[in-house]
Amino acid sequence: MFALVVARRYLFSNPAQTVLLIAGVALGVTAFVFITALIEGLAIRLTDDITANSAHVSLEQEVRVARVLPGPAADVQSVALVSTFQRRQIRAWAPIVALLRSQPLVSAVSPQISGSAFLVKGEAVAPLAVTAVDQSALDAIFPITTKIISGDADLGADGLLIGAQLAENLGLSAGQTVLLRTDRGEDRLLTVRGTFRTGLLNLDERVVFLSIRTARPLFRLPEGVTNIEVKLHDPGRAREFAAFLHEATGLRATSWQERNTNLEGALIAQARTGILIQIFSLISVLIGIASALSLSANRRRGEIGIMGAFGVARRFIAAVFVLQGLLIGVVGAGIGCLTGFALCSWLETLTKADGTMVLPIAPGEGGYVAVFVLTTIGAVLASVIPARSAARLDPLEAIQQ
Amino acid sequence: MSDVLEAHGIAMTFRNGDELTEVLKGVELALQSGELAALLGASGSGKSTLLSIIGLLLRPSAGSITIAGQRVDALSEAERARFRNQRLGFIFQFHHLLPDFTATENVAFPAAAPAGRMTEAMRQRARALLDRVGLADRMDFPATRLSGGQKQRVAIARALMNSPALILADEPTGSLDRVAAEKVLDLMREVNREDKATFLICTHDEHVAARCSRRILVKDGRVETQNGAKST
Repeated sequence: MFALVVARRYLFSNPAQTVLLIAGVALGVTAFVFITALIEGLAIRLTDDITANSAHVSLEQEVRVARVLPGPAADVQSVALVSTFQRRQIRAWAPIVALLRSQPLVSAVSPQISGSAFLVKGEAVAPLAVTAVDQSALDAIFPITTKIISGDADLGADGLLIGAQLAENLGLSAGQTVLLRTDRGEDRLLTVRGTFRTGLLNLDERVVFLSIRTARPLFRLPEGVTNIEVKLHDPGRAREFAAFLHEATGLRATSWQERNTNLEGALIAQARTGILIQIFSLISVLIGIASALSLSANRRRGEIGIMGAFGVARRFIAAVFVLQGLLIGVVGAGIGCLTGFALCSWLETLTKADGTMVLPIAPGEGGYVAVFVLTTIGAVLASVIPARSAARLDPLEAIQQ
Repeated sequence: MSDVLEAHGIAMTFRNGDELTEVLKGVELALQSGELAALLGASGSGKSTLLSIIGLLLRPSAGSITIAGQRVDALSEAERARFRNQRLGFIFQFHHLLPDFTATENVAFPAAAPAGRMTEAMRQRARALLDRVGLADRMDFPATRLSGGQKQRVAIARALMNSPALILADEPTGSLDRVAAEKVLDLMREVNREDKATFLICTHDEHVAARCSRRILVKDGRVETQNGAKST
């Protein structure tokens, strides 16, 4: 293609200008890659922080609400009251757990009894959230075993795991006994088998773990469980899997996204901000290409004029400038992607004293294909204005100048 | 009946705001194949405008033009461009060579651009033409490394590349020193004589006109004399 030969010659005729132009495009693409990798990295970190330490889908009975019932007489209505003392429970939880374990999406299942209680130590009373699980599923949702700082994680028949903050508040330590009083009014002396520190105050101060067998009489649940917690291989599919579970079981299925709508909103807002920055960096790249090629077209008026005089088609002249834009776009975007990846990879290695990253960057999520395609298409579009102006140049006017 | 060019009633009026300037007023002109004609005239006489109209770079306000047997005044822009490429050759005062290309590539350009590629046959013809104009030792030189006279000789070779029916030259020696100008003029005479190429050379230089086989004088927008014959 002869137009490509001419375009290449034009670019090579002024190497300094071409290098600067390509460097400008590469810089813009690098900025795009950096912003994309940073925003994606931040989203991944926030999402990971949440999904790593909590269930991706929670199953429980639908909330029962009081209903207004029509009375036998037209003007009489009555209200069907719901007992608040009757605990919501999933009685036939075993087949549901079997169903969940047969799903390839599912990585872990934990049937639980959750409820409210108090720990009483002498005069001190602390409100609690109790999570009762099978010993085998203790770490299914949250890796509590790895957080044990004293004692061990063996729940046993009367064992209790408590947070470090709660232990400190009540002056408890591993091996001591303490009275647990549930919201059903049942009391039992349990032994603190271990204390854990997660770094999450809510867990360290308010949550205790015990076995389901221990919890059944305390919460008056001889058969059922209150909830089934599910972890997935891909947390991003929690919403669709929750919908499937609701359909399949009739239970209320809540995805982690529904429980963290604020986070989802923040991530969306953050992504939109990123898109704006990406658009501006692309626009600056495209303006640079358009202005440089316009200058080139103006500088070469005489040559373009002589081409026109010799009857070279306008589309050939336009193609010369569009191909220059294409070459600049492809080379600049390619270099920008490489430098962007290199920059992000280097930033990923920078860590703070506690071992965490300085920037939560994800080099693999730089949007390389998107920025390459967008920059290349944009570079071609940016070259259309100078290409049209060159192609429309009156040969006589250009030659006489 | 002329072989190469027939122009009848060529008129050209330019508008500058409300003011109309009549540059050409019904020019009649004919050129026969193999002629070396000088188009003479004072500055502002309209000779350059006439050359541009014959070269299909400008549309006349009125009149008809036939070149190599084809009516060309009513052609579309694309058809005019194609006709210029295939049937006309141009030599300008300033050579306007492409600085990023060699002498051979510059000569082959009018054939290569429409074809979309530069074939070996095109290169060989370009080399033969450069040899013809005495630049056998400069074929692969970049245009920027040639002297003014050499550049104008490359421009002559480029004008001959597509074997045009008519070569139009606008002050071809205007930017050259006397020695280089003589060489260029000799070359055009030689090409005219040996290749039977038809030249119409626009010039205000009596010395150039004296070396041509025919003189056409443009005065006040009309062709005054053609080899001394009165014309309308």
